[in-house]
Amino acid sequence: MTDTTFQPRHSAVSRRSLLLAGLGTAMSAPFLASCAGFDTSGAAAGQGTVGFLSTQFTPVEEKQRYEAVLKKFAKVPMAYNSVDPGVFSSTVSTQAAAGNVKTSLLGGLHGELAPLADYLEDVDALLRDLAGRGFTKEMLDLTKVGGSTSRYVPWMQATYVVAVNKKALEWLPAGVDVNDLTYEGFLAWAKAAKQGAGRPVFGMPAGPKGLHHRFYQGFLLPSFTGGQITTFRNQDAIAAWDYMQELWSAMAPASTNYDYMQEPLARGEVLVAWDHVARLVNAPAAKPDDWLMVPAPRGPKGRGYMLIIAGMALPKNGKDRDLAEKAIRALTEPASQIETLRSNAFFPVVQTELPSDLTGAIALEAAAVRRQQRSAGALLALPPVGLGAKEGEVSQIFKNCFQQICLETRPIQQVLDTQATQLNTILKGLNVPCWAPDPISMKCEVA
Amino acid sequence: MSTKVDTTPIARQKRNRFLLQAACIAVSLFMLIPIYLISLAALSSRASLNEFPLSLLPTNLSVETLTGFLGATGIFGALGNSLIVGAGTLILAALIGVPAGYALARFSFRGKDPYQLFLLFTRALPIVVLSVPLARLFLTVDIYDTTYAVILLHTALALPTTILISASVFLSVPIDVEEAARLFGCSPLGAFGRVVLPMALPGLAAASIFTFVMSWNEVLGASILTLDHRTLPAQVLSSLSDSPLAYRFAGGFALVIPSIIFIALMRRYLTNMWGSTIR
Repeated sequence: MTDTTFQPRHSAVSRRSLLLAGLGTAMSAPFLASCAGFDTSGAAAGQGTVGFLSTQFTPVEEKQRYEAVLKKFAKVPMAYNSVDPGVFSSTVSTQAAAGNVKTSLLGGLHGELAPLADYLEDVDALLRDLAGRGFTKEMLDLTKVGGSTSRYVPWMQATYVVAVNKKALEWLPAGVDVNDLTYEGFLAWAKAAKQGAGRPVFGMPAGPKGLHHRFYQGFLLPSFTGGQITTFRNQDAIAAWDYMQELWSAMAPASTNYDYMQEPLARGEVLVAWDHVARLVNAPAAKPDDWLMVPAPRGPKGRGYMLIIAGMALPKNGKDRDLAEKAIRALTEPASQIETLRSNAFFPVVQTELPSDLTGAIALEAAAVRRQQRSAGALLALPPVGLGAKEGEVSQIFKNCFQQICLETRPIQQVLDTQATQLNTILKGLNVPCWAPDPISMKCEVA
Repeated sequence: MSTKVDTTPIARQKRNRFLLQAACIAVSLFMLIPIYLISLAALSSRASLNEFPLSLLPTNLSVETLTGFLGATGIFGALGNSLIVGAGTLILAALIGVPAGYALARFSFRGKDPYQLFLLFTRALPIVVLSVPLARLFLTVDIYDTTYAVILLHTALALPTTILISASVFLSVPIDVEEAARLFGCSPLGAFGRVVLPMALPGLAAASIFTFVMSWNEVLGASILTLDHRTLPAQVLSSLSDSPLAYRFAGGFALVIPSIIFIALMRRYLTNMWGSTIR
């Protein structure tokens, strides 16, 4: 009797617990098997793999191509881990603060490494060894990030050029040379194209992640004023922003959505655009014959252009120091530098002749970059030097100027005065010398 | 004779049935169209995405971007990590959260209301604020860059919802049945295990959907706490937002599929959260 009443319940319970137990094991099996998780960066190759944490080459294909470069040229096994700049800086600083550094090599733009200078090893000795590579003096000055010793080894460089779809040449005004544009000619062309095409076909990367502030910092303002910071609100700067206002009215309003100009260019929404070489390289990918790459325009004070430097740094107390140094040596060799150019459109920082067999978009860019640097009146501008964590705020000031002058059409002088006060507040707190193209000896502030 | 039958009620019924079906179809389309579009874009060739106007029918099928995306270093490892973290978070959050929810539902104690409010405070802090000090702590105790670290963070983030949902689930289990079980000789633990838990299980399973999806979607904490053992969103999200459109679709597609599968598995229980009648 007891058996018959208890058996069904008993069996029901055991079936359920069996199921639960099964589920539990199924769930915990991968859990126990892999303990700390599966490797996602290639570091599982074991001890002696250099963990390379970087802010560059985050897009899927670029990363894959760079991993191939590393595999072929780095001479040591490397795990390339690309993250966004925010995660990069918090990872580096928390690891240093906890005294347990898990990376061995760091890579980033000058502006991303500079604020982390305290956590980076002094690389003067390494740079002395690499003196034969032919880094330029400006570059070596930059690596000191405002201090007295170098904190990173130059890795690669880039600049900005103008991409032109040949369709737009139809509206090029007479007397304007596309390979030697002036700001006036550029504006006349933009207006003629807008009229001819029935819609604006010039664009700029003014989206949330776009780099348009570099256009004002390194191209527009230096070309009009000869400076970047000291001349921020003088008469020449007012002329520059007045020009910008007019240029904007001939540009595609959708520009405020564009982060990487190669996409609207490839779609044909925009026919002419200025941007970072790595952000233009895919536009001509399909039909290189339909495209031109030309130097940025020149203005009354010369052809302002900005150079972007990326560097490799060694974290203090990092792992596998010897291997990381070996990797740096390998990656600054001309062969690996040229391979980086071929695959990802970042230019060599070392003294080397570019090969003549570059293909498609890269060849177009290489020619434009060379013409831009060697043209008469070329005026080198650097991204802000030694601003550390404040760099983003300074960039924001230039973006504010664009926002208020071009989008909200406020009076230019008034906007520049307000923004200059803010800029001076930031710069006074930092007390740093100016950088090119401003006179370097001065303490940096807006006159 | 037969022509005189009043057909209006039947017609009305037919019309209502039609309207109901139409509404169901409209709601389904609202959910399915985005999924259709993202699948279409993920499986289209790159060149066809630049055309205008875009074709809404699969005319240019290609798995080029999808294979490119899946071929990236660490995608499958990251998928595994995400599953480990999701399952681990689910188990740990249930182990801690369900008893807490039970206590909230069954016992009245001093400070119960402030306690319920206080629970939500962990969600009030931005994850960045939480994860940087946590990363430091985990580095010191050497579980940084492991799935354990991420499980702990996600459990902390999931606990408030787990506790509050399980409390309301236990409230819906009549206290009478528990008392009856005690009368028939169950220990308090036995009554909980044999009577209350089986009745609450569907609701608890539904709560787990929230936990799992939260853990699946969380990016920032996971990317600060790990380096070489990332979860899938942490591994690909920043990379995708910088990639060309074609890759964003491919990545989005790959990220959506696993959580759709999980929800499909749990769907049966989800309806239970609002009462078994819907089923």
